[in-house]
Amino acid sequence: MDAAGLSSAVIAAPGAQIRFMTAGSVDDGKSTLIGRLLLDSGALMRDQVDTLGAEDLANLTDGLEAERAQGITIDVAYRYFATPQTSFVIADAPGHEQYTRNMVTAASNSDLAVLVIDATRVVDGVLRPQTRRHATIAALMGLDLIVAVNKMDALGWSQERFEDVRAAVDDLAGGLGLRNVRCIPISAQRGDNVVRRGGADWWAGPTLIELIKRSHGARDFSNDRLRMPIQTLLRDGAKRLYAGRMESGVVRPGDTVAVGAAKTLAAVARVCVAGRPAPMGVAGDSIAIELTEERDAARGDVIADVGVRYVRSVTADLCWLDEDAWVKGRRYQFRQGALETQALIEDVHFVRDVADLSERPAPASLRLNDIASVRISTRDPILADLYRGGGGPGAFVLFDPQTNQTCAAGMIREAL
Amino acid sequence: MRLAYKLDDAMSSAEGAAPRPAPTRLDRLESEAVYILREAAAFVRPALLFSGGKDSAVLLHLALKAFAPQKPGFKLLHIDTGHNFPEVIAYRDQRARQTGLDLIVREVEESIRRGSVRVESETASRNAAQAVTLVEAQQEFEFDALIGGARRDEEKARAKERVFSHRDAFGAWRPRAQRPELWSLFNRRLGAGEHMRVFPLSNWTEADVWAYIARERIELPRLYYAHERAVVRRAGLLFPVTALTPAGENETIESLTVRFRTVGDITCTCPVESTAEGAEEVLRETLTASVSERGATRIDDRANAAAMERRKLEGYF
Repeated sequence: MDAAGLSSAVIAAPGAQIRFMTAGSVDDGKSTLIGRLLLDSGALMRDQVDTLGAEDLANLTDGLEAERAQGITIDVAYRYFATPQTSFVIADAPGHEQYTRNMVTAASNSDLAVLVIDATRVVDGVLRPQTRRHATIAALMGLDLIVAVNKMDALGWSQERFEDVRAAVDDLAGGLGLRNVRCIPISAQRGDNVVRRGGADWWAGPTLIELIKRSHGARDFSNDRLRMPIQTLLRDGAKRLYAGRMESGVVRPGDTVAVGAAKTLAAVARVCVAGRPAPMGVAGDSIAIELTEERDAARGDVIADVGVRYVRSVTADLCWLDEDAWVKGRRYQFRQGALETQALIEDVHFVRDVADLSERPAPASLRLNDIASVRISTRDPILADLYRGGGGPGAFVLFDPQTNQTCAAGMIREAL
Repeated sequence: MRLAYKLDDAMSSAEGAAPRPAPTRLDRLESEAVYILREAAAFVRPALLFSGGKDSAVLLHLALKAFAPQKPGFKLLHIDTGHNFPEVIAYRDQRARQTGLDLIVREVEESIRRGSVRVESETASRNAAQAVTLVEAQQEFEFDALIGGARRDEEKARAKERVFSHRDAFGAWRPRAQRPELWSLFNRRLGAGEHMRVFPLSNWTEADVWAYIARERIELPRLYYAHERAVVRRAGLLFPVTALTPAGENETIESLTVRFRTVGDITCTCPVESTAEGAEEVLRETLTASVSERGATRIDDRANAAAMERRKLEGYF
């Protein structure tokens, strides 16, 4: 494509941005796959290629000096590349078990997950523990999953071995309630079926990049009920505007909305985008709303549809992210939307073993990387919305009030 | 009166308007940046780092949108290396006047006089020294949030940066102790003397920035577009010939049509040959470029692959 054509395509086309994460067990070839995606999509610049060793694709995602010394990836690294119609953000999550919390972080900021499996290491249909762990986290966080079955070249592109892996993945996906998991045979090292086709003559399916593109980027929550957490108040002369980003739904002048946990009804007078009136605000938009009458609302309150429900107690899946273990009876700072309040973990129902999905009942504590089902209560009323992938009101985090660390990520499963 | 429910309800109502076109990636990035800026406004004393460079120009434009029709509640802060192009300084002052925002300028020169910064020579790059002056300014004004236009696509160490990046009381970044950042539920909590660096453009690429400048018609210093300039060639790069960076004795001065991709410290910022007269043409060149932004134009980053990481540990932006 000539330069002029490329430019007008990128400026004029809808041009979605797709954010996806990559996960996989150590040495399954995740870093090599990312390097391959960057290289074959033309995202690499000459100076970046020059610093590489011969075809040492994994070096591209190596970041910090500390991890080069250790030879492992210690944090989430973000990579960017584009094709004429679509731009991509890769959240590269580490495979090392010690840093599973970073996978949770990467998952929370992704539209879908690409899980890399080394096909040569799947023996008798048994997936490695870290693979199971990553698939479990993707399922918990509501991400769609694409499985890149890697190193197929080392197996002579055996269709039988690919089907073995696919059967093991389907088995795991069934147990996790994951639907539409797609497997694809690739060789990241050789570049087969990543951006260009190659390797298996029996494979008639899409390449990895084609599959990723089909996801169309951020999920559309405009069909869900209106939720707009108020971030800040703005003044327009004597009038007050409530500014925030719409988590879901649609809002237009004339709509009746419920403001805050008191659910005070009000009518929308004006919807503004960048200070100018707009016909409507849709999920994903950062907007400001003027009501026909002012309401006593502040940062942390939510403008919602009139059917909204608030509670002070929920059941949630909780990923513990902090080196400091959970302390029973301790109050943690709780954030949902723009609301910050205090929360108490009343009960730990069980900790889930993410390798075999078994439930370990009534544990005494929660430690780094634990995923537990808990009952949690809050000082102030919170939205009773259940978690759906992509964040939104069903998601919350806990902060440690003393160390200020972000210590847990929560997903509401039941409002009590 | 109609109830706010679902899009299909709204569509089927008598007053329903035509459905909106699907949001583009620029819409998504813009909405995200506005959201982040509004989060940053919840700090007590936030400041927006404004150098007059293109990323900070985009940041200021977004801040004006985020709080319209009000003015953003941020002060503008510039750490002046004393090695800036005069056109960029003029643009910086002009934008501050136009927006009516307070502009605070703190000079690396002043830190050198005080002795908190030492430089090897008058013409050595002052990019690294900015970190010291920045932390001094942060402490002087007790800023609890510094909002910057850094992007993760710029460089390896930046690729691991959080959107809300916590700095300890010494202004240092500790990559191993980074707080996990979940969804958009940012952790704004600070201990005594600590501050936050906030990066609303984290997920933008150089091409996104140029596409946005073109779409929003954001004015930039002329240096970003094609102009005649006296340069010399060294090690495959073009160097501007200025009072601070004269040509060497055996070097041939050429007059070429060039533009800058970044406009940092004069002593380490190189132009590229270009005939791009506007943002769309720059975008076209950017999309077909074969050398990364920093690789092409920042000598100090080329010197050492880990240069940025070391500077960030010491408080660099």
